[in-house]
Amino acid sequence: MRLFDIILKDITQILREKQSLLFLVAMPILFTFFMGFAYQSGENGAESADQRLALGWVNNDPDGLLAQQLFDRLAQSDAVRLVELAPGTVDEALQQGDIAGALVVPVDFSRLAAAGSLSQLELVADPASTQSQTLFQALRGPVTQLMSAAEIARQSAEMLGKPGDAGEFSQAFLAASQAWAETNSVALVRTEMAVAEAKQSWYGDNPYNQASPGILLQFAIMGLVTCGQILVQERKTRTLQRMMTTSLRPWQIIAGHALAMFILVFGQIMLLVIFGQLALGVDYARAPLGTLLVSIGLGLWVSAMGLLIGGLAKDDSQVVLFSLLAMFFFSALGGTWFPLEAAGGAFAAIGRLLPSAWAMAGYQNLLIRGLDLSSVYLPALVLLAYALGFFVLAVWRLRQRSFMTS
Amino acid sequence: MKILDIALKDLLRFSRSLFLIGMTLAAPLLVTFLIYAAFGSMADGEVAMPAVQVGVVNADALPAGAAMDASLGESIRSMFFDESVQSWITASDYPDAAAARAALDAQEIGVAVIIPQDFTQAYLAGEAKPLTILQDPTLSTGPAVVREMITSLLDGVAGGGVMYEVINARLSANGQALDPSALPVLFQRYADWYTGFQRALFHAPGEAALVLRAPAVGPETGRGLQAMMGAVMAGQMIFFSFFTGAYAMMSILQEAEEGTLPRLFTTPTRRTAILAGKFLAVLLTVILQGLVMLLAGRLLFSIRWGQPAAVGLAFVGQMFAAVGLAVLLVAFIKTSRQAGPIFGGALTALGMVSGLFTTNINMPEAFNALGSFTPQGWVLKAWKLALSGQSPSEVLVPFLVLVGIGLVMFVVGAAFFRRRFA
Repeated sequence: MRLFDIILKDITQILREKQSLLFLVAMPILFTFFMGFAYQSGENGAESADQRLALGWVNNDPDGLLAQQLFDRLAQSDAVRLVELAPGTVDEALQQGDIAGALVVPVDFSRLAAAGSLSQLELVADPASTQSQTLFQALRGPVTQLMSAAEIARQSAEMLGKPGDAGEFSQAFLAASQAWAETNSVALVRTEMAVAEAKQSWYGDNPYNQASPGILLQFAIMGLVTCGQILVQERKTRTLQRMMTTSLRPWQIIAGHALAMFILVFGQIMLLVIFGQLALGVDYARAPLGTLLVSIGLGLWVSAMGLLIGGLAKDDSQVVLFSLLAMFFFSALGGTWFPLEAAGGAFAAIGRLLPSAWAMAGYQNLLIRGLDLSSVYLPALVLLAYALGFFVLAVWRLRQRSFMTS
Repeated sequence: MKILDIALKDLLRFSRSLFLIGMTLAAPLLVTFLIYAAFGSMADGEVAMPAVQVGVVNADALPAGAAMDASLGESIRSMFFDESVQSWITASDYPDAAAARAALDAQEIGVAVIIPQDFTQAYLAGEAKPLTILQDPTLSTGPAVVREMITSLLDGVAGGGVMYEVINARLSANGQALDPSALPVLFQRYADWYTGFQRALFHAPGEAALVLRAPAVGPETGRGLQAMMGAVMAGQMIFFSFFTGAYAMMSILQEAEEGTLPRLFTTPTRRTAILAGKFLAVLLTVILQGLVMLLAGRLLFSIRWGQPAAVGLAFVGQMFAAVGLAVLLVAFIKTSRQAGPIFGGALTALGMVSGLFTTNINMPEAFNALGSFTPQGWVLKAWKLALSGQSPSEVLVPFLVLVGIGLVMFVVGAAFFRRRFA
């Protein structure tokens, strides 16, 4: 019963503070809306009818057959929208954001390519941006087919005993280009998402499938700002020392605080799960036991970490600081800000070991991959292991004599 | 001098606050460092291929009498087991689609390539019998690359067909016939050309027909990862700069609650001077924080902030806005306990709306327009102009707006303070 009294005391103390509701409820909801909106915007691009990437076109070989053929081919592309530019204006257009990249056709491109000599088309774009990679992939096919047609035309002319004959080359080149236009290798490859039901995009056609668990996880950690202060305040007001003079055992005090933190964190998680289900269309209820299991694991880990923060911090401001730093660290490395697949090898490798990444994996298995309860056993087990580890550290810290008597 | 004494006293107090140092320096640097650590491999413009586990189900077989050494399915399968891709592709064979799907669900593989029976036969007959790429829905880059590899291989095969068709047609047009014995040599020649062409495209930019080149930038402007980090760090610097200003201003409330402020008011020092000293401390703190962030950005992340004069204008504008908003916000707060929700909630919401957390995401125009109604939004505009190498004259408008907003907020806030402590 005394354990229950401590739990009730802690929960009442926290919920009396209006700012607790801000950090526990209002801010996560606000951020969820915001990030879902951002994900949707990032995937769909600006609200314009033409979502093709703008590709600048600089043609220094205006009379060339190959250059003209490439222009005609790209003008019909579903992936890029050509924007004709004068030479020397590419860098400015890129800086202004008018184009995502520019294709520069060098002088004498057609003549050199027809002769089999190297003449490089330049794609001018920011190499680190995803748009440059997308543009390169979009151009790979047309450029390959263009140069293939040129190679075929050369071989044809040689077979006819007319190597270097411009007229023969042109006829063969145009025939090859026409044949390529009628070929469609892309239609031979069909892509499917491994989900329970067919969806249109990787987040299951609902951007909140990624945003909701990510924000839920992030703010579960941030919620420690309110929970962790309980221990600090007890120590500062010497309440803890007075409790130690009673018949309460140390383990009861620790367990009471830990359980109070777990109830608060778990309560926050479930509130956000219900909000996600009802307001955002995130189908947490598709596998309710699985959602519950991951949420319990997450709650246990976060509350154990909160106990440790409460033990380490010397005052309220340090609780805030440690909680925020933990939030940034685990959120970034856990894949809540961006998919770990997009990050570098070492970063992703480390991130995947962390409890935050396992919690994300558990939710993603249910929400995005459409898997069943068994898919969350391992993530839940890992979260439990981390919870145990943090709890052991917290107990060690709390039992230190200097802490209990300071 | 008393103004300076009060300012220095407050500065000393701030420097002893672990929380302030943590929130003004450690937190923004940590966030920026985490993003740098995630994407640092792009520093030289070379994007490392993401590691991907591929499962292959090949039910295809070479039709009898086909003039090919191996079926298309086998060619596709071999591509994923080739030595040249082993550094980033881990390939496994699976007996059927169900086994591959189970492996995908268990996250043993990220992509399954399922090649149907008679794929080659259908291809040679001109029928479309597509193969299937089944992917983990949480992945994007790896599956896209796998798809490109397969499409590229199929293009190579298609090219052989185009070559045969065109040469045959041109010979016929010239009254000649294609000698069947010449076919293997022709196909081999084309295959050699195609392989060399693809290899150059992806592995030898100096010999490729299409090459990616970075745009020319000025010495003050970053590119690639530098540009991305500049945007991220600018967002973090602005957010925590406003937070620093607000938290530093809280010292007035704390001193009022602790009783030292009323005692200060009993001294001969005028109240205006006392408040001025406190405002000066806030200004100096925000300036110091900003300078440290600029320096850290340059030294740790090689961020090129822009032309010095443009950077100066953006920086000074930021100072005006941060201090002005801090004075205004704290003027309406009655106790230091109210500060948490005000700082945490209001500043975070303003930061979100201003685009400080989405500097590298293409947001809709309507969202971007919201930033024109917040001080943080204008500061971000100024920094984006500076980071993109714009001249000081381009940054002048945001600078003037920020000075104006900052002064208005400061005057209103200071008036409230004078009335409260009159």
